[in-house]
Amino acid sequence: MRRFKIKNKIVGLLVLTPLLFSTVSCKKDFLELAPEISIPSEFVFSSADRIESQVAGIYSSIKNGQFYGGRYLIYNDIRSEEFVNQRQNNVTGYSTYQFSNDETDSYVADFWIRGYLTINRINIFLEGIEEVGTDILPADKKSQLVGEVKFVRALTYYSLVQLFAKPYAADNGASKGIPLRLLAERNSENNDLPASPVKDIYSQIIKDLNEAEAAVPATYGDATTQSTRAHKNTVIAFKSRVYLAMKDYAKVISESNKIVSATAPFKASTGVPHQLAPAIKDVFTNYTINERILSFPFEANNAPGTQNQLGYYYNEGNIEYSLSPDGIFGSASWPTTDDRKKEMTAKSSDGKLNLLTKFSGASPFLDWIPAIRYSEVLLNLAEAEAEAGSQVRALALLKAVRNRSDAAYTFPASPSKATLVEAILLERRIEFLGEGLRVPDLQRRNMPINSEGAGRLVQPNDERYTFPTPLVEIITNPGVNN
Amino acid sequence: MKQRLLSMLVLCVLLIGSAYAQNRQVSGTVTSATDGTPISGVSVRVVGTSTATQTSGDGSYTISVPDNNGSLSFTYIGYQSFQTAIGTRAVINVQLASDDETLDEVVVTGYMVQSKKDFTGASAKVSGETVANRPLQSFTQGLTGQASGVNIIQPSGVLNNPPVVRVRGLSSLSLSSFPLVVVDGIPISTGDVSENSAANNPLGDINPEDIESVDILKDAASTAIYGSRGAAGVLLITTKRGKAGAAKVSYDGWFGSSKAVRLAELMNAEQYIAHKNNAIKNAREINPKLSTASYPVDGGFFPTLDANGNPVDTRWYDFVYDTGISHNHNLSVSGGNEATKYFFSGNLSDQDGILVKNSFKRKGVRANIDHKVTDWFKLGANLNFTNSANNSPNSGSVAGAAFNTSGLGRIAMVQAPNVPGYLPNGDYNVTGSSIGKGANVLAPNYPNPLPIRDLDKNSSETNRFFANINSTFNLLDGLTLNNNFTWDLRNTNNQQFWNPINGDGYSFNGYAYNNSAKSNNWVVLNSLVYNKSFGDHNLVVLAGHEAQSTRVENWGGVRYDLTDWYFNQYQGNFLTNDAGGNGIGENRIQSFLTSLNYNFANKYYFTANFRRDGLSALAAGKKWGNFGGVSAGWTISQEEFFKSSSLANVVSNLRLNASWGRVGNSAISNSYGSFDIYDPTIYGNAGGMIFTQAGNRELGWETSDQTNFGIDVGFLDNRVSLEASYYNKDHNGLILAVPQTPSKGIPGNSILMNIGSMYNRGFEFALNVRAVQKENFKWTTTLNFSTNKNEVTALDNEGRPLIATTAGLETTSITEVGKSAAQIYAVPTNGVNPANGRRIFINRDGEEVQYLHNAPNTEGFYSYSYLDGTRAAGVAGDAVAAGNTLPTYFGGFNNNFQFGNFDATLNFTFSGGNYIYNGTRAGLRDQRIWNNSVDMLDSWTPENKNSDIPRAIYGDNISNGSAFAIQSNIEKGDFIRLQTASLGYRLPSSIFGKSGISSLRVYAAVNNAFLITKYTGVDPEISSNGDGNLNSGVERNSMPNGRTFTFGINLGF
Repeated sequence: MRRFKIKNKIVGLLVLTPLLFSTVSCKKDFLELAPEISIPSEFVFSSADRIESQVAGIYSSIKNGQFYGGRYLIYNDIRSEEFVNQRQNNVTGYSTYQFSNDETDSYVADFWIRGYLTINRINIFLEGIEEVGTDILPADKKSQLVGEVKFVRALTYYSLVQLFAKPYAADNGASKGIPLRLLAERNSENNDLPASPVKDIYSQIIKDLNEAEAAVPATYGDATTQSTRAHKNTVIAFKSRVYLAMKDYAKVISESNKIVSATAPFKASTGVPHQLAPAIKDVFTNYTINERILSFPFEANNAPGTQNQLGYYYNEGNIEYSLSPDGIFGSASWPTTDDRKKEMTAKSSDGKLNLLTKFSGASPFLDWIPAIRYSEVLLNLAEAEAEAGSQVRALALLKAVRNRSDAAYTFPASPSKATLVEAILLERRIEFLGEGLRVPDLQRRNMPINSEGAGRLVQPNDERYTFPTPLVEIITNPGVNN
Repeated sequence: MKQRLLSMLVLCVLLIGSAYAQNRQVSGTVTSATDGTPISGVSVRVVGTSTATQTSGDGSYTISVPDNNGSLSFTYIGYQSFQTAIGTRAVINVQLASDDETLDEVVVTGYMVQSKKDFTGASAKVSGETVANRPLQSFTQGLTGQASGVNIIQPSGVLNNPPVVRVRGLSSLSLSSFPLVVVDGIPISTGDVSENSAANNPLGDINPEDIESVDILKDAASTAIYGSRGAAGVLLITTKRGKAGAAKVSYDGWFGSSKAVRLAELMNAEQYIAHKNNAIKNAREINPKLSTASYPVDGGFFPTLDANGNPVDTRWYDFVYDTGISHNHNLSVSGGNEATKYFFSGNLSDQDGILVKNSFKRKGVRANIDHKVTDWFKLGANLNFTNSANNSPNSGSVAGAAFNTSGLGRIAMVQAPNVPGYLPNGDYNVTGSSIGKGANVLAPNYPNPLPIRDLDKNSSETNRFFANINSTFNLLDGLTLNNNFTWDLRNTNNQQFWNPINGDGYSFNGYAYNNSAKSNNWVVLNSLVYNKSFGDHNLVVLAGHEAQSTRVENWGGVRYDLTDWYFNQYQGNFLTNDAGGNGIGENRIQSFLTSLNYNFANKYYFTANFRRDGLSALAAGKKWGNFGGVSAGWTISQEEFFKSSSLANVVSNLRLNASWGRVGNSAISNSYGSFDIYDPTIYGNAGGMIFTQAGNRELGWETSDQTNFGIDVGFLDNRVSLEASYYNKDHNGLILAVPQTPSKGIPGNSILMNIGSMYNRGFEFALNVRAVQKENFKWTTTLNFSTNKNEVTALDNEGRPLIATTAGLETTSITEVGKSAAQIYAVPTNGVNPANGRRIFINRDGEEVQYLHNAPNTEGFYSYSYLDGTRAAGVAGDAVAAGNTLPTYFGGFNNNFQFGNFDATLNFTFSGGNYIYNGTRAGLRDQRIWNNSVDMLDSWTPENKNSDIPRAIYGDNISNGSAFAIQSNIEKGDFIRLQTASLGYRLPSSIFGKSGISSLRVYAAVNNAFLITKYTGVDPEISSNGDGNLNSGVERNSMPNGRTFTFGINLGF
């Protein structure tokens, strides 16, 4: 009888058991978990703020230290005659410096990967914003944001095609270029895509820039935004660089004239009032000064990341590269009276090396990236005028840049066209030392690269003249180079 | 006189003997050979009679024997039975050797404990003794060579670096291939939970001395009860619990000393200076236009003189490696009665590695209790608290760290030997982030290892609490309800500080990164078990429900730019503060499970398992999967026809097993792989978000179908037993991080997809022989031997290979269809051109192409040229799959000896059939400023044209494989190692008197005693990429394993 009672209790327990189970299992959503500190894609076009936040994200994507936030500039300088490697470290470009970087080089591959990642982020954004109604985002704002990201896409494609494909100048863009990706990629399709010809990439760049120019604002409300996001003059300035690479001097002149006055003092009369800063030093201490048309900003919470920082490479940060006595630093054409030499180069602390001190920030190396400067537009225009326009104006533009830093320097009164072009190219070596323009300046004229690292002239027909397509691309896209 | 006395004595003994010849009493004590503790309940029997008794609680017995001609037999479950002639002895003390291989053993099979007789799957059991009292951090290290089908690799000599464990081969490509580890019923996390250079294997939180046994489930029929979690095998850890009887107290302690072995021989200062200057001369000869700044005309390296005017010659190994002293203490109390049993233990382990300042300290306490409340209600509880502190300088030898510039394993090899560590004034010799260059013209590019060793700090400290409470209700005859709640709460603090003087912290002006991780892991299991026999029909049925949740919350910060060098910790004062190491991830799994075990007359066995699992990490609509397995066994030796055949005289056990099952792999590290995700970012001062993950809304289960055939044979009363099995694991629908063309711009260039398949096949043999069973000499030997053939049969739809890198930098591995996974991916080589000393590569068209570094690219001096001197294209992209990295055979040969009070073990392990990429050698022959191994002195010169090492040209990082992997650095990985050898002595119990001590054993042992291999790197059992599936078999700058001598005692009360 007693035992029976116990059994009854046990039956009661049996009834309780499902309750135990239910503590976790019967919650329908036990297995439904969503990421907590990342944002699932269904929310990203839900408000104007989030859409604008995506645009800031796209800018942050191109300014990644592995891309335009450091390495784009670095690769284009260390391949030249201007710098001597001090660390023999492949991570900081030793193989690139020696022209021995091959298709397996993971840092060069990473540059490619970062570039295309930015492009796809833009393509996804462009696809998504299409559907957004005016209830969420006003039409003019929508058009502005589309314009901005198209500008970033053009800048990204230009960086990639410049490093990984033969120059446009070699054969008017007939050479094999790079894959032209314009679709939003989110799934496993479309792995295969052959490289488009160089000229198709340039056409797309120009198309994006023309559309951007029409859509972006002339000015922004504050200096920081104005220096770090694309406005009309930014797009125009960059077009002058692209047309110069295409040797379309007429276009360089017509675009540049939109933002350069006919005579000195040269300045932009519409939009953001760009002009040369009175002293070159100011350009590298005041990042929002009007001479800096586009900069990529860094703050302590979005620093360039290790082994990407300009000050780490060229300055006391780690002295990865010092100035070569065989380069422009040792040239008589760059007198010591020049502010750019006096104020932007110095001896290393042990007195043995010459350093570029333009990027002076120490850790965490927050020197903003000078992506486009007004002095570049002036020299772009000068070169185009020298080649296909007014030699007088060309010389005036050249003087404006030189005499800003070396007032006493005098050029011959009426130089020959060839001498003038040579002087402009030389001026660019001085003015943009460490700003990533040296190798593009050689390539766009199809000239050999006088490599300090390889100890030889690398001719345009050399397979190492441009970067090889990374192995990771070839493996998943075997027809890329066909 | 003496002789006469002696013969009198003998006579007396004989007389006494004969006086008691008819039905006299024999008494004695039975103790365990392993630890000397008394064994109660041993059945003592006069052979051939019905006279029998059992030993009492203190192991003693008294039995009446008929005459001196008979024998006594001693039998007890879990021990080898023992028989001895009585003779004239009045006292017969016996030690029983434990027997892990007897058929009486039990198998813990997930949710149940079964007699091995009833078990028809494939499993291996390793007793706790095997992993106890050894210089290990986690039990996994002790499994090497102990079980067939289980292959363990210790990736480097860093303490508590998680070993690579593979059960029946590589089981996944993109998910974890590490087996599921279940401790007393709760699946726990594995891997490395450290955020810095101090390795922290969470399995090191389990005190090996607390482990009763490790059961390794290998086939699907056994693991199917774990359903989605069983694809890589299951390691079931059962911890010790109290046993009824008088309280037993035992203390185990050991002291050990380890030293680095097999370090590469390096050039001394004089050799270095001469070699490097000659290499500069060679470079200038080839290309006179080379920069004189980087290739000085008069050489770049000169003797640096010390304060006494003698040239500096630094052997950096001496500053980095040291003798590591360790000690370990374990105290336990166990006892109880039939109603209540308890077990308490305390453990302290303090181990120092061979790398200076590498240490592992574990303190832990464990308490458990089993209590029978009524005859139908039992309760149990288990509490365990552990503190594990791991400290290490940057060794460069944990996964992903191979190319760390501050990795001490690497710097000790490559740092210039002609510069000192200290300046004459006692300061560190530093310039910027590197070591000072002394008298050299060219500046070294590696830091001074001394400030890194002395001032940098990396630690990972875990506080871990395990708690389990369980209840069992006997509802009806044979029907029980089990409720189980287990909680595993882990807090890990990772702390890192880099000094501002030199090394990684230099450019930061001091850097600190701290991160704290809280892992909250719990599981609830409720099950009903029905266990009943009906005549010859024996039935066990289980049904249960299980739910587990694991939530890990990480938070932390990065601080740099010290305001004062006085500070050397995160809490000091810094100018820059940023977030770092933050994250939240949660994974949940819910399962319904059932199993049926049936046997008829202990001859025919049948088992079926079914489990339905839901996993939060999979896509909506794809979360649930069904898994299961069946197995059958036939014990032929139980059949009458067999028993009556003559074969039965020789064959004492004959059993056939077969199983099939489907299991899954839920070890997805990405908890949110089905989502398209945007991560927050900052652009200057503006907040933003960026697309960071292309999810797969179709992401479903990865499964594998596994078949197993086994045969167990016992000969001569099971004195010789053999278990043989064949397995075939077909992994289908592998979740693969399918590579996406980088130009598509998919974040991470991959998408998780259910594509791909692979198989693992092989044979396993375990031979167990009680070779000698004399009273005073026993020898047991076990040999296990396993083979494994791995082949990838499908990848993505286009069949394109998977490429993997070493530490994200060097492309070393390829996985392609038709070959085993993780092949070495290297450019073929064909020695050195004797005419000019250039490395000869074979390009994709099979042509020989020679390489010249820093070539001026003029006629005859091209970087790449055919052997006739004409220009050729580069070969870096012409790598091929050039060697299998997965061992095709491996095993262990373990011997236990006992002679009188002495005992000894000799355990060998072996492995082979695989190749290793000796990337360390590429570094040791790199012609940049790095120091080289002495074999470089034998490189090609015009006088030494037959060398297989290319001519030394300064700056050359290609000819010897520093830029891309080359075939000439591939070596065979076959080896045999004396893993452990030990010698112990048990003091005779007579000397303890009334001290209360019941047993005392002292022993000495050596771990990693010697290694026989043709492999020239530090160790063929190495993995610079840790547990990686796709990049195994690579040695890159890793520090070696140590050799450890230990001395210890086992004391019982």
